[in-house]
Amino acid sequence: MSATAAHAPGWGSRFLWVALLPLAGFAGLVWGLLHHPLPWRGAWTWVPSLGVELAVHVDGLSAQFLALITGIGALVCVYASGYLAHEPRRGRLFLILLAFMAAMIGAVSADHLLIVFVFWELTSLTSFLLVGFHHEDEAARNAARQALLVTLSGGLALLAAILLLGDIAGSYSLQALIAQKQALAADPRLPAALILLLTGCFTKSAQFPFHFWLPNAMTAPTPVSAYLHSATLVKLGIYLMARLDPVFNDLWLWERALVGVGAFTAVWGAVLALRERDLKRILAGSTISALGTLTLLIGLPNPGASLAAVAFLFAHALYKAPLFMVVGNIDHATGTRSIDRLMGLWRAMPWTAAVAMLAGLSMAGLPLSFGFVAKDLITVAKEDAELLDAIGYATLFVNATAVAVAAVAAVRVFGGPPEWPGERIHEAPWRMILPPLLLALIGIEFEFLPDLADPLLAAATQAMALELGAVDVQASYVFGTVLTATEITLLIGLGLFLVWDRLYRALHFTRWLDRFGPTAGYRFLLESLPRVAAWQTRALQHGRLAGYLRATLAGLLLLAVGAGLATGLNPAEDWARRLQDWARDGGDWPAQSGAWLTAAVLMLAGAAASVAVRDRMALLMTSGLVGYGSAVLFLFAGAPDLAFTQFAVETALVVVAAAVLPRFGPPPALAADEPYWRNALLAAASGVGILVLLLGMLALPPDTTLADWFGATSLPQAYGHNVVNVIIVDFRALDTLGEITVVVFSLLAALPLLGGLLRARREAAP
Amino acid sequence: MTGRALLLERTTGPLYGLLLAAAVWILLRGHNAPGGGFIGGLVAVAGTAAYAMVFGATPAQRRVPLGPIPLALLGAALALLSGLPALALGRPYLTHLWWNLPLGFAELPLSTVLLFDIGVFLAVWGTLAGYVLALLRGGEMDRGGAP
Repeated sequence: MSATAAHAPGWGSRFLWVALLPLAGFAGLVWGLLHHPLPWRGAWTWVPSLGVELAVHVDGLSAQFLALITGIGALVCVYASGYLAHEPRRGRLFLILLAFMAAMIGAVSADHLLIVFVFWELTSLTSFLLVGFHHEDEAARNAARQALLVTLSGGLALLAAILLLGDIAGSYSLQALIAQKQALAADPRLPAALILLLTGCFTKSAQFPFHFWLPNAMTAPTPVSAYLHSATLVKLGIYLMARLDPVFNDLWLWERALVGVGAFTAVWGAVLALRERDLKRILAGSTISALGTLTLLIGLPNPGASLAAVAFLFAHALYKAPLFMVVGNIDHATGTRSIDRLMGLWRAMPWTAAVAMLAGLSMAGLPLSFGFVAKDLITVAKEDAELLDAIGYATLFVNATAVAVAAVAAVRVFGGPPEWPGERIHEAPWRMILPPLLLALIGIEFEFLPDLADPLLAAATQAMALELGAVDVQASYVFGTVLTATEITLLIGLGLFLVWDRLYRALHFTRWLDRFGPTAGYRFLLESLPRVAAWQTRALQHGRLAGYLRATLAGLLLLAVGAGLATGLNPAEDWARRLQDWARDGGDWPAQSGAWLTAAVLMLAGAAASVAVRDRMALLMTSGLVGYGSAVLFLFAGAPDLAFTQFAVETALVVVAAAVLPRFGPPPALAADEPYWRNALLAAASGVGILVLLLGMLALPPDTTLADWFGATSLPQAYGHNVVNVIIVDFRALDTLGEITVVVFSLLAALPLLGGLLRARREAAP
Repeated sequence: MTGRALLLERTTGPLYGLLLAAAVWILLRGHNAPGGGFIGGLVAVAGTAAYAMVFGATPAQRRVPLGPIPLALLGAALALLSGLPALALGRPYLTHLWWNLPLGFAELPLSTVLLFDIGVFLAVWGTLAGYVLALLRGGEMDRGGAP
């Protein structure tokens, strides 16, 4: 796999320099943390009319995420420049990776919820592109689509939650929300908002039952999995839950939902890991399990749990990202990720083996690693929280599985006799060794860097548990207090590791669950979509003009009846009074009633003739008569402009139809099973419905506010006497612009369709 | 068309010119009297359709300046552009500007409104002419080629 000097890509084309961008971000962050106390704030107006401002609020929690995003981001870029050395489209991958990074940075630093949402969705979109990077591969396309659909559906729920929360609190600022905790808790709409919010967070952070997209997303290139699916993207849901934890942490629903779903996800993720043979999917299962543990910890009300969550978040990113990179190295060198085919790699890949060992130590939670500290804090937090026994046992199982997975990734594939059949295996290049090695070393040594670790962990914990004045990280864990628990976990984990293959076969029975599980539900929905679309198209777009007309008239009738019922219009009374007045006084005819009557007779004659004639040209003329008649009516009703438009429309319609109609053969006869009277009845009913509605409208006092305003302002403000034209081209010019653009584009869309239709007809003709 | 209608053929050419002139007149007077770009565009389309009815779609298409699609796109672009000068002056997009051009004997009122209305006119004419001519051409193809 190693590139020979002859065609090794150079510095520029390998895109190693891209790593400088996140590295600069990381350096800036560290410099800022050392010189400026948190929180950092800033605000720029963006859409003032909607009250949206680009507000930034970086506190300890945000800073922790920023450190992960930029720090791991820089290392992932270095790794990717090695991993993708022979990928011709790597420029695209780096570009999307940087866009994703920017979106993540925006999502964790924004204070305005709508801005958070925008960046949240951007991470979904960019991760879609990253997961589907090898788009020639159908599995990659399906996985990308699945991840996108699941997280975007959750995004919609999140948007609804944000709008609800903003409405309740009167502000979209996260800090304002936290400050208004009491008012929020009292509102009856809060449970709905909470459920929607958690749906959004659960889809993003792969909580049951939305977890299934994560293992499938393992079709992504390894740098993407290491970055998105261990350290950043999937932690965004965790971030938002942690961010809002101070607002909701005493709520019954919040605690139960987070603890319940988190515990179940942790267990189910562990089971998923045990069910896999693909090393990368095993890691994905254990990632789901870890995300479940994080959700559970956020749900626990005690501040110790917050500290444990923060520490575990860090520890997990620091061991899981290198492990993914280890799998990438193995895949790169051997071309397989199946644990059935991998063994004894330590001789060929000593550096990778060392990385796996270091990361595995932390993952297993062995003493002297940062993972141990995190596990220790978790155990303490759970003891304080007085949880159900079931959750205690579940945690034991989850932790033991983590030990077993670590052993599989670090010992099983590297240990044993060094026999790999066939070709020689190379150690990965330094670009693919150094980044995971650095991460794993930090993961081991982190607690030995108290100057760096403690303030960051303490600040992040404070952001989650506001009532804490200060957090003393050192005092929170004492080496050895829970060593017994660790020993038990390690022993069980070792047992699981030893019976891994037997367990795999034993867990085979769980596969029948897949037929009813979330994956099956997703597939059902996805397959139903085109079926529903096809049914709907058959029902609505049948191609029979008479049917379209029937649907239109029936819709019109429904609208008329609905409008009448909704507004309680009752024209009968009003018109009875008018008739009485007319009978008493003899009534006085309106001015120009001769013209009115002429127009009415013209229209009636046209309508009656339209019903009678069969010839299409004659029908065109008679229906044109109705149009001209209404134009005459407009003319004498003080709307010359409307009349002019009506004349022009009618003329254009008649001329165009007269030009086009004769070229399209004879009209289709009415189908034999279509009763004539049914159409007549529908037409008459819709006519009467509209008539009654119009009479009812006339009975109401007219509202002339708009007409008066336009009439008064047309000349002084827009310098035009023709109010209608002034409205079209000036007052509502933007609407007109949109309309003509749509009209023009409709032509562009229709021409190819028309061309295809005509070609098909010509080919069908003899 | 089966057979030739001599009278129709002799009158349609002048009628087309007359209709276009009327369309432009309707467009220009529209701001202060009944008319405007939309109605003018419809009248122009009626002219194109009448011409196509008598002489066929292809000769009629040659009579539409630029051709239907470029004409429609130009119209939309003109309307779009007419809002830009306001931006340069720091006013909201599509705020219309007026400028009276002194000609000595009279003043010619020019405005971005006029530009906008011309855009509407061209968009309506181009688009509907495109539809009509495409439909007509389809009918001709049914009969196995140009009439």
